[in-house]
Amino acid sequence: MTTGSGVALATQGLAKRYGSRVALDGLDLRVPEGVVYGFLGPNGAGKTTTMRILTGLVRADAGQVELLGRPFGRRDRRRLFDVGALIESPAFYPFLSGRENLRALAATGAPVSRARIDELLTLVNLRDRAGDRVSGYSLGMKQRLGIAAALLSDPRLLLLDEPANGLDPAGIVGMRDTLRALAAAGKTVFVSSHILSEVQQLVDVVGIIARGRLVREGPVSELLREAGAIRVRVAPDEVAAAAEVLLPVAGTGSVAPVSGPEAGWLTVRIDPTRGAEVNRVLADVGIYASRLETGTTLEGLFLELTGSRPDVAADAGSPGSSAPAASSTGWQS
Amino acid sequence: MRLFVADLRKLVRRPASWVTLVLLLALLALILVVLVAAARTSTEPQAALGARQFVTFPGAYELVLTLILGIGGLLAVTYGAAIGGSEWGWGTLKAAVARGESRSRYTLLNFASVAVFTWLGLLAAFVLGVVGAAVGGLILGVPPGGITDPEGLRRLPELLGRAGLALAMNAAFGYAVATVARSQLAGIAVGVGLFFAEGIAGLFLPDVFQWFPFSASSAVTSPLSGGGVGAGGGGAGAVVTQLDQNTAIVVVCVWLVVAIVVAAAFTERAEIGG
Repeated sequence: MTTGSGVALATQGLAKRYGSRVALDGLDLRVPEGVVYGFLGPNGAGKTTTMRILTGLVRADAGQVELLGRPFGRRDRRRLFDVGALIESPAFYPFLSGRENLRALAATGAPVSRARIDELLTLVNLRDRAGDRVSGYSLGMKQRLGIAAALLSDPRLLLLDEPANGLDPAGIVGMRDTLRALAAAGKTVFVSSHILSEVQQLVDVVGIIARGRLVREGPVSELLREAGAIRVRVAPDEVAAAAEVLLPVAGTGSVAPVSGPEAGWLTVRIDPTRGAEVNRVLADVGIYASRLETGTTLEGLFLELTGSRPDVAADAGSPGSSAPAASSTGWQS
Repeated sequence: MRLFVADLRKLVRRPASWVTLVLLLALLALILVVLVAAARTSTEPQAALGARQFVTFPGAYELVLTLILGIGGLLAVTYGAAIGGSEWGWGTLKAAVARGESRSRYTLLNFASVAVFTWLGLLAAFVLGVVGAAVGGLILGVPPGGITDPEGLRRLPELLGRAGLALAMNAAFGYAVATVARSQLAGIAVGVGLFFAEGIAGLFLPDVFQWFPFSASSAVTSPLSGGGVGAGGGGAGAVVTQLDQNTAIVVVCVWLVVAIVVAAAFTERAEIGG
């Protein structure tokens, strides 16, 4: 079932203040259906506040939310029957077992069958420990149970706040496979995470917020291409000459010599596919690059857009990486 | 209905349910032992007579219930606060709301399950109290014939209903305080503090504090209502002015509704954070 508009989640002018602190300052998001959407931002950028508003836990001071193609307000709690969420840390009764906790949660909101609970316990590889009290679970096991809880009502939209918290590498791969499979089945996954390398492998579309506002949104491959750079390593005494030669190729302000311990490197803001051209231009004037690196990472883009580091240019051109194909690894620990 | 059943299941598994019940039964048993011992050894005829009243049926039915309300009132406050506060502390309310559950429905059904367990605790304590009083009567040589007194037995359902309402109100009070405080620890501390504060304040301003929740709840079954020994609140055993039984039950119902409405309204309007 689709929304018709092709948008699973949208916010417009979303604003929220806690006293004098501005948490959200006119946030506009647009999450297409059937994608894994990475919601990124530094600490305190407003990610969790957004998640809370989207799940009706807190109310926005201003702005609109659209969930699954329809406006979502105070009286629309039933819309959440089609939404699964894991906000901040997973919440459970410590004296109940994993299975009992899922049963207790299944008694709220949309009806859930017992078979579904066992199915999810198997999916997150907790079947063997399902009868144990949650108080004895590790952080990673609680996180798995939290993801199972979010999936209880087979939601069309899944909101996950830092789902990889506490998961071991196999657990992370398993979670990635599960989320990709959900998106492949037409469901929408909205995920916030600080593990940017993980996000880069997982998401189709990314939204980056800083200080409560959206600073960039779009398909991750497109953003990485746009924000691409080439890093060139030349002899330190040739840096100035190399920068002068490359300026007409890349444009004003697009060539930045790196100082400090990385002296000898230049960052050239240019389409990474033009690496050969950069190399030829340098060679034409007798400057021979000892290394040439292309591409950028989501981390580099994130740091640049959010201003999380003062020396953005020095880090923007770290080697790119391509997303490996999702493995079929399960949630084994 | 499935939410209510799930709430009951949770409470069965919850250690606080059993700890509270064991504490209630143990304290009640201890008090009965002390009363019987006092009746046997006291050299003061008045004290011995007072103690013998607790083991003389049918009057013992009401006195046992009054005794339970005294101890159980405090335990009900802490139990209600523990259950209400933990929903916020553990984040389980947040998880339910994020699944689209109605906040006020969740709160009301959660409290309803607490009320059921409070009732079950009352019944268990009453059975123990009656058996204990009967055994005490045998030890003190009081004829046990009154235990089957038709008039006494006829009044039992009404007395248990009154006591159940009073304990439920105490639990609701703790539940509401913990909900507003969003913490079981704060709820227990404030609830217990108010319980004792009311009892002590009632010693100085009895005409005013007889209308307050814990004083009113101790009067719903008390045969000495209208002026006598109050078994509830922090002034247990003190001579206080008490409402008559019928006025007390109305006041208890009002406080019960107020506490539940406050808890539900607060949950409905609250911003739920981490």
